[in-house]
Amino acid sequence: MASDMNGDMTPPSNHSSGNNKSGHKARSAWAVTRSVWFAMFMREAIGRTMTDRMGWFWMIAEPSLMLLVMIGIRSFIRGDKLIVNAPFIPWMLVGMMGFFLVREGLTQGSGAINANRALFAYRQVQPVDGVLIRNFLDGLLRTLIFLLFMLGALMLGTDFRPDSGFQAISGWLSLWALGLGFSLVVSVAGTLVPEVTKVVRMLSMPLLILSGVIMPLNHLPHYLLEYLMLNPIVHGLEYTRHGFFEGYKVVHGTSMLYFWSWTLGMLALGLLMHVRFKERLKAQ
Amino acid sequence: MIEIKHVYKRYYTHRATDWVLQDIDLTIPSGVSVGLVGGNGAGKSTLLRLIAGMDSPTRGEIKRHSSVSWPIGLAGGFQGSMTGRQNVKFVARVHGGHGNEAEIIRRVEAFAEIGPAFDQPIKTYSSGMRSRLNFGLSLAFDFDIYLSDEATSVGDRAFKAKASKAFKDKVGKASLIMVSHGVGVLRELCQAGIYLRDGRAHWYDDINDAIDAYHNDSDAHVLERKLHQLTNSKMTSLMQAQVFHQEAKAHFDSLQIALEQLPQDIQPRERQASVQAVNEARETLHGARRLVQKLK
Repeated sequence: MASDMNGDMTPPSNHSSGNNKSGHKARSAWAVTRSVWFAMFMREAIGRTMTDRMGWFWMIAEPSLMLLVMIGIRSFIRGDKLIVNAPFIPWMLVGMMGFFLVREGLTQGSGAINANRALFAYRQVQPVDGVLIRNFLDGLLRTLIFLLFMLGALMLGTDFRPDSGFQAISGWLSLWALGLGFSLVVSVAGTLVPEVTKVVRMLSMPLLILSGVIMPLNHLPHYLLEYLMLNPIVHGLEYTRHGFFEGYKVVHGTSMLYFWSWTLGMLALGLLMHVRFKERLKAQ
Repeated sequence: MIEIKHVYKRYYTHRATDWVLQDIDLTIPSGVSVGLVGGNGAGKSTLLRLIAGMDSPTRGEIKRHSSVSWPIGLAGGFQGSMTGRQNVKFVARVHGGHGNEAEIIRRVEAFAEIGPAFDQPIKTYSSGMRSRLNFGLSLAFDFDIYLSDEATSVGDRAFKAKASKAFKDKVGKASLIMVSHGVGVLRELCQAGIYLRDGRAHWYDDINDAIDAYHNDSDAHVLERKLHQLTNSKMTSLMQAQVFHQEAKAHFDSLQIALEQLPQDIQPRERQASVQAVNEARETLHGARRLVQKLK
């Protein structure tokens, strides 16, 4: 992307730099990218929180309501004594917040390019910028909400402090990175082939169950687990949970190596796709 | 200065479409304002988008040696759900106006004169208001070359006058590449012209020549189309055909006179355009004559 960023201005020999009040000197590619990111971040942040009616309220209310409903269903179906060495509600909260972090990447990615279409009028703005910024802002907000939940739980007297802070944080950031990878890939694929968006949206609900967010996967038979463990989200979630609950017994076969192979693979693929299809994404 | 080197452009849909632009090879010197003329779909806006760097050519390359604005006009550039002020702020930040956003916003607000609407979402704006804002925004930055895609066509009288004045004040400091169907504004603001036809560009050092070439061609096409209509219709009367024949004759004569009056030292390429126009007019005239004889 950098090579096109300096399309802003090539070092000119005959460039009249007389009274350039707005700093219109040749900027480096990185300087252009940085100012684009800053501008888009501010725009996106204001758009997300201020333009909707009660945007802030829903940002917190939506996951909490979701959590309440899930807890309601789960405790109605079966007791909550299924998980070894981890209190049920925090266990599920960690899983849900982590899962949403990834799912957001999957579902929001495809909208990120179309939402910023009007801004491609400025050649400094590239399709990938919108995706990166949206994912960054989204992760930031979700982290904030997660911290608020933790704070609330601590004030209610539950022990919701991670036993291994480092592992919890790195697990969270890993999930964030996976979400970004998905976001990059889906943004290109979904913009070029709209059907992809529909399939992804359909996938997101079964994934909630398949990733062991609501039901622990530990009790499933081995032959089934073998297939479920292909899903990288499970690995990330289990790792993060283990960071929170010291004695928690993760699903057999959890491997961060496998998780990061997926993440790096998706990130690389996504960035490559953005480089390859940049013009088509803009022209759509 | 902008170098356009052997630029081809086509858009891909599900299958490849025809070339929109073919082998455009031009250098637009600095300090010269250029008008782009041509019929609808001739590729004027596409060329402008390529120059702006919004889109890249399928083949060839474009080198920008000066700072170039985005294409100022109706289409795009604003996020509908955000207010005018927020959009202006965004553009100021993208263009690195860090630290003097307030100054830029003040300048835009003063120029656009849209009053309290400046703090309303863009989607509530009329097209005239949008173009005022877009125009004011581009003027807040000191570009070397401004690109305008019918930027002033929806403005009211006062705004058009103001916009022309703003550009005239920039003469010497900045130049303009504009697409417009308004002949007056082209003659007023531009020196040179580019006439786009069938995906190819013809450069004219004088904007008036470009406009004339365009008008001659489009007149010829009007006649050609009319001939086609008359020939294919069974309702055509002899009377109609004779009237049309006279029209075609008048057009042919005027073109031929124009060709004869061309100065001797004119470039062969420009002469070629006139010769071609005469030839096309002759074809049409012959067609009209055949039609008249058939009806007799």
